[in-house]
Amino acid sequence: MSAGSVMEKLLAAAPYSLPQEEKRILLVERARELTRHHYGQCELYNNLINRIFGGSKALQFDKLEDAPFLPVSLFKTQELRSVDAAAVVKTLTSSGTTGQAVSRIFLDSRTAQLQSRTLVKIMQHFLGVDRRPMVFLDHPGVVRDRRSSSARAAGILGMLPFGRQPFYALRDDMSLDLEGLREYLEKTREQTPIFFGFTYMVWQYFVGALEKLGGGLSLSEAILLHSGGWKKLEAVKVSQAEFRDRVLAVSGIKKVINFYGMVEQVGSVYFENPLHFLHASIYSDIIVRDTNTLEPLPPGRPGLIQVISSLPESYPGHSLLTEDIGVVEDCDNPALGMNGQYFRILGRLAKADLRGCSDTFQKPVPVPA
Amino acid sequence: MSTSTDKLQVRLLAPTRGWESLESVLSMTGALAEPFSARRRGTLGQLSRMILQDPELRADAGSVALGYWLRKANIDRLAEAFGRRQEAEPGVVFVPAGRVFHVAPGNVDTMFVYSWALSYLCGNRNVVRVSGEQSPVLMRLLSLLSRQMQSDPELADGNRFVTYDHDQSISEQLSRWATHRVLWGGDETVRLLRTLPLSPHASERAFGSKFSYSAISTRAYLEAAVEKADKLAAGFFNDVFWFDQMACSSPHLVIWVGSAEQFDPALDRFHQALADEIVRRGHRGGQSNAIHRLNFVFDLACEANLTVDLKQKEFLAVRFPDAGVLRKEICGGGLFTHVRVDQLSQVADVSGEGDQTITHFGFSDTELRELAQQAGSRGVDRLVPIGEALAFEPTWDGYDLIGDFLRRVTLRTNSGGR
Repeated sequence: MSAGSVMEKLLAAAPYSLPQEEKRILLVERARELTRHHYGQCELYNNLINRIFGGSKALQFDKLEDAPFLPVSLFKTQELRSVDAAAVVKTLTSSGTTGQAVSRIFLDSRTAQLQSRTLVKIMQHFLGVDRRPMVFLDHPGVVRDRRSSSARAAGILGMLPFGRQPFYALRDDMSLDLEGLREYLEKTREQTPIFFGFTYMVWQYFVGALEKLGGGLSLSEAILLHSGGWKKLEAVKVSQAEFRDRVLAVSGIKKVINFYGMVEQVGSVYFENPLHFLHASIYSDIIVRDTNTLEPLPPGRPGLIQVISSLPESYPGHSLLTEDIGVVEDCDNPALGMNGQYFRILGRLAKADLRGCSDTFQKPVPVPA
Repeated sequence: MSTSTDKLQVRLLAPTRGWESLESVLSMTGALAEPFSARRRGTLGQLSRMILQDPELRADAGSVALGYWLRKANIDRLAEAFGRRQEAEPGVVFVPAGRVFHVAPGNVDTMFVYSWALSYLCGNRNVVRVSGEQSPVLMRLLSLLSRQMQSDPELADGNRFVTYDHDQSISEQLSRWATHRVLWGGDETVRLLRTLPLSPHASERAFGSKFSYSAISTRAYLEAAVEKADKLAAGFFNDVFWFDQMACSSPHLVIWVGSAEQFDPALDRFHQALADEIVRRGHRGGQSNAIHRLNFVFDLACEANLTVDLKQKEFLAVRFPDAGVLRKEICGGGLFTHVRVDQLSQVADVSGEGDQTITHFGFSDTELRELAQQAGSRGVDRLVPIGEALAFEPTWDGYDLIGDFLRRVTLRTNSGGR
């Protein structure tokens, strides 16, 4: 696919520069372009449009809400590709608990490049242009096997280019290497470091360990970026506010930024704005739909989140219905100096409680590590 | 290998709630009763009242149906039928099977009560294992049973409602104890539990996973008056939505018998009537049902040519373009597929082992009798009008449950009479 001029327009603008209405005009055009592209290049997608969305008339939509979508779990069961297998430079897989199917996302160099270009722009908005020392709140083993790109490894690898002198703060047994960390911070003290980790890992192995060890850190200038589901934290009844408070208490880190993203749409991530809402950049947007009727809902009404991204060209993942529940708060807030919609994630759809005949003696479900 | 029962524990849910040693469950003392004793019939009548008066259960269609099924008039009818059986066979004395171990299914909350109630009526002692995934309805039913047991020592002494995790050694002991074991599947549970030996004198009934569908005469449907079509929609709604389409007798496939030209008009009418019924009842299914249906249909559409209308709410109907495609897959939560055939005999052609109920509309008695003969010999157990799929009957999956819960003692007296 030739680089569309819409995409170029999007890439030329700053990530939170366009008011919602203006942004939507570009995104709809880009979504139409991508829908047509995948319809022509991916046989499965073509079949799905014909069979489920009534054929080529589904390619002509005026509103983003009318764009065809795929349920995100389809990437777990089908191989969805819009380029030749030979053009695939990287296959991303989602993290999944043992025995569960994982998503497979096929990237060609063009899509991989679009992903990193947009990610750079979003990251720079929050972190500035300088590359700073980067501490991963994980163990180095997670990225050692480069062939298997688990979501955790992919997240870390995706983050690597934005920092320098990467340091892994956990040992292979997940214990915090506090001494090593102190040494590293001492060595790099001219610049404020960026910490990155998956939310639950940060909670369990960083906050938890520092609380146990006592003698916290005082990193008032540092930034902590974290991502990944809240499900495990919800299970232990930790709110986002408490998470930030406890991070501050043990480490002194004041700037804690959560972001929402998924392996199916790498690049167009949703960073937490200063009001602690997740903010859509111009490269992507969300639509909230009623869980039962799938009708689009106005701001303030919680529902299923559909994510639209302008990036996926090598796989038909530009319009996906997730299983996350969220609610749009508002858009184009001048006080923030950021345009576009912002929202909250409320959790994951309670997994299908449909009980088949055969679950009377269900085998115990392994608890994810 | 034999595990001693004194170390094994189950969670007792009725009579009281709490951990209980398996030993004490198995040594319950309650006496057997004469089949269909007035006393036991009275207890079921009492339970019926409790269920129908319970605000929580009254809001649950499945529990209301159970409440009605347990009411005195219905139980008396069963007793009368049993009386006729006794009269017809003077040479047989019916006695309780003895000790019955029920493994209840996880998909239909009320099922354990039906299985237990019939066995209890037959005079047995019972241990009922319910699913570990307990829904509010299940817990409510159990607490009503518990409450009744407080004032009814006969009930409390001879019946135990328990749950336990996947633990073969407990099932093994209960199987050894039982004189009759009834396994309400599906296939996995049946396979797993069948490996456990019963006493050499015991009997067993097992119900595997089942598939059910509807057959509708296209012409009769299109000719039906509005009230009749609405009533059909209401019946189909009940069959599908009461247990989230996960009951074994809920239809997943609708076979339209009629011409190709009438197929689309019939589907349009059917979908509109069902949509109206959903609105009329204000039905809102589980939060994950829509996504569950979508996931199923997108996967299906990757392999098979089909059409759907994503604007449908609370249900999703998949239409296959030709009669050749027929899949007996279960999604649940309001998804069904439509296929068309020219003649009713073709419905029998697609039926097979593991099929249970055909719900029907628009066929003559003669046609249905013939279908029952043909489809029945291939595996179908039951043909009932649309709307009656979930009505529980003592003959289930082709078996006479009352017969299962009784033993027949042959009696020839000196007078030579039989």
